[in-house]
Amino acid sequence: VIIVTHSYGQRTGVRYLTNGLKVYYVPTMVIYSSATFPNLYGFFPIFRNIVIRENIDIVHGHGAFSSLCHEAILHGRTMGLKACFTDHSLFGFADASSILTNKLLKFTLSDIDHVICVSHTSKENTVLRAALSPRHVSVIPNAVVASQFLPDPTAADPNFITIVVISRLVYRKGMDLLVAIIPRICAMHPKVKFIIGGDGPKRIDLEQMREKHLLHDRVELIGSVPHHDVRNVLIQGHIFLNTSLTEAFCIAIVEAACAGQGLVPFFSRLSVVSTKVGGVPEVLPRHMINYAKPEEDAVSKAIHMIRYEVVKPATFNDELKDKYSWKNVAERTEKVYDLISMTQNSPLIERLRRYYGCGLYAGKIFCMVIALDYLFWIFLEIIFPRDAIERAQRFPYKKYQTFEYSKRCELPATTDSKNDDIK
Amino acid sequence: MNSKRMRLNASDGTKLPWRKLLYVKQDYPDNYVDDTFLDALQKNVNVRIYDYWTTVYESGVIAQHISSIVIFIAVFINLEQQKLATNSLIIAGTLMTSLGYIFWDYSVVQTVPSYASKRNKTAKGALFFFATLLGLSPILRTLTLKTSDDTIYALTACLFIVNMLSHDYSAGPRNIIKFPGSLSTNAAIFASVMLASRLQTNMGVFGLTAFAVEWFALFPIFRRHLQNTTQAGHTALSIIMLAASVTLFIHISKAVVFIYILGITFITFICPAWLIRIQKYKNEIHGPWDEAQPKLQPSREKYYKHR
Repeated sequence: VIIVTHSYGQRTGVRYLTNGLKVYYVPTMVIYSSATFPNLYGFFPIFRNIVIRENIDIVHGHGAFSSLCHEAILHGRTMGLKACFTDHSLFGFADASSILTNKLLKFTLSDIDHVICVSHTSKENTVLRAALSPRHVSVIPNAVVASQFLPDPTAADPNFITIVVISRLVYRKGMDLLVAIIPRICAMHPKVKFIIGGDGPKRIDLEQMREKHLLHDRVELIGSVPHHDVRNVLIQGHIFLNTSLTEAFCIAIVEAACAGQGLVPFFSRLSVVSTKVGGVPEVLPRHMINYAKPEEDAVSKAIHMIRYEVVKPATFNDELKDKYSWKNVAERTEKVYDLISMTQNSPLIERLRRYYGCGLYAGKIFCMVIALDYLFWIFLEIIFPRDAIERAQRFPYKKYQTFEYSKRCELPATTDSKNDDIK
Repeated sequence: MNSKRMRLNASDGTKLPWRKLLYVKQDYPDNYVDDTFLDALQKNVNVRIYDYWTTVYESGVIAQHISSIVIFIAVFINLEQQKLATNSLIIAGTLMTSLGYIFWDYSVVQTVPSYASKRNKTAKGALFFFATLLGLSPILRTLTLKTSDDTIYALTACLFIVNMLSHDYSAGPRNIIKFPGSLSTNAAIFASVMLASRLQTNMGVFGLTAFAVEWFALFPIFRRHLQNTTQAGHTALSIIMLAASVTLFIHISKAVVFIYILGITFITFICPAWLIRIQKYKNEIHGPWDEAQPKLQPSREKYYKHR
């Protein structure tokens, strides 16, 4: 398994991450908010080179808004590889950006072997957007590493009731709702404090609200939180609030539920309050989460009700560890890969026929794009022959894991400075 | 590991029904399609059913606006060719404006009684405005001396098109004028100033500009008010304006009249029928994936713009 992504500032080239995961940081141009410039054929030569070097069989793209993903799937299919796509977000159908992205998605997904969605609502949404057969869409939810979100009952301040919000501060995450509720809650309950993590365009609205109602000591805006620090912020809270207006699968609430624990006294459990939108109702069992409609009154009421709930001594971390594990996700994804490896490749004319059905004018344009892609591939095969490309050496995973394991099992007395460097 | 995960198999081996949940391990494959798939999908819930004659009636707004532009151009051409005397234009304009204002004021006072106190301010404002215009008209007359006729006519044509396209055709009371509406009035006044500067006498310039202000800034308010109050008055006004534009323009150019009548028929009768016919292609999809509309208190809602 290798990862191909765009370069992040100075970070370009080939890197090896934890456990020997190889990442290719391709030097493409980034335009806005980590999105690459859509460069349809320009990505093909380097992509072909990577694929041949690593003997790749399956291309798996993520994210409907990622131009690298669409290009990689397109070129992968031209080269005869199997393709798979995972959709992580929900989209509407009515506004301009949705209409264009859905057409693009229809293009990419006309010729794909399998699609994975992160929730059942996301599956319905993707099937409608891309006009797919639902049998070709699997639902494999995301997961959390529960051991990274262990609860800590002592971290929260017992004098206050702390409400934690960690999200991107954008309209889509319901920041308007948050700006409306905070003054109300603070007025109703004098012992409530808010900690808001994350950054975005709506940060200014939150700061304005804080100024207007003089809540500087009650509302704390801690800015962008790096992922390894999220747990430290979560354990400081008694309630986790999620006000998003739409979510395919909300990992934030699963992480928050993991970091909660159920011992009395009254408020030392991290309860989760969320708006009931998108795929959120499918994610957590009823006893772990409190729902509210995306209305100002409803959310205030839900937070108010939490005070009078009876706390059940349950440990959510253990429950969620089994329900959502990456190992399970990997097993299910492997099943998908096995399924698509068994299918046969269709001839070019069949591919063109599939693209042609995308629309009256769009179908013809897409066919032209594919035809040109195919010609470009032949051209690359002639100019840069396959045999001239050096095959990369495989990272010795087994040897590395045995080495790591033996290092961890060694007694402390036998460790010396050389081993410490390797660790 | 397996014992901890909830299994949804009954002890006798029959399958339990599929549930739309992610945290339980179900005995169905990942790509299983249940009968309840897409149950929450709602199609075409917000679609309005249009009635033909109501749409025809509503399209009268556009017809009136186009007629108003045509009448104005006819007035300008007549003024330039001196078929229409400046004094009669000024008198006619003032008379019509006063009548319209009295009618409008009378109906507005019935709904909003506090409006009576504003009459003095309005009269003073109007007097001041027209005095300034009279004083500025010699300057306006020499504004485009060096510019050629063709440039002026092309610019005027573009500006009137902008006026037509960006005009606020919606009905209902107006508290604030939003951006596209103000653009249309500005374009119209700009165009009339351009045209007025082609005239020969100061009084002519004053007459046309005053008429333009009354015609493009005040008359739409009156028309909108008429549309909101009487149905018969609205239709009558459309017909009167149509007749007026035809009579005024027929001596200038028959071809323009012909195109104009064709255009008005198209907009008034054919476009509503077309709109109703293509409603059958409407495919609106709603479901649980839609972005929720946050319901805030009304006092706060107007401060939060969508996105």
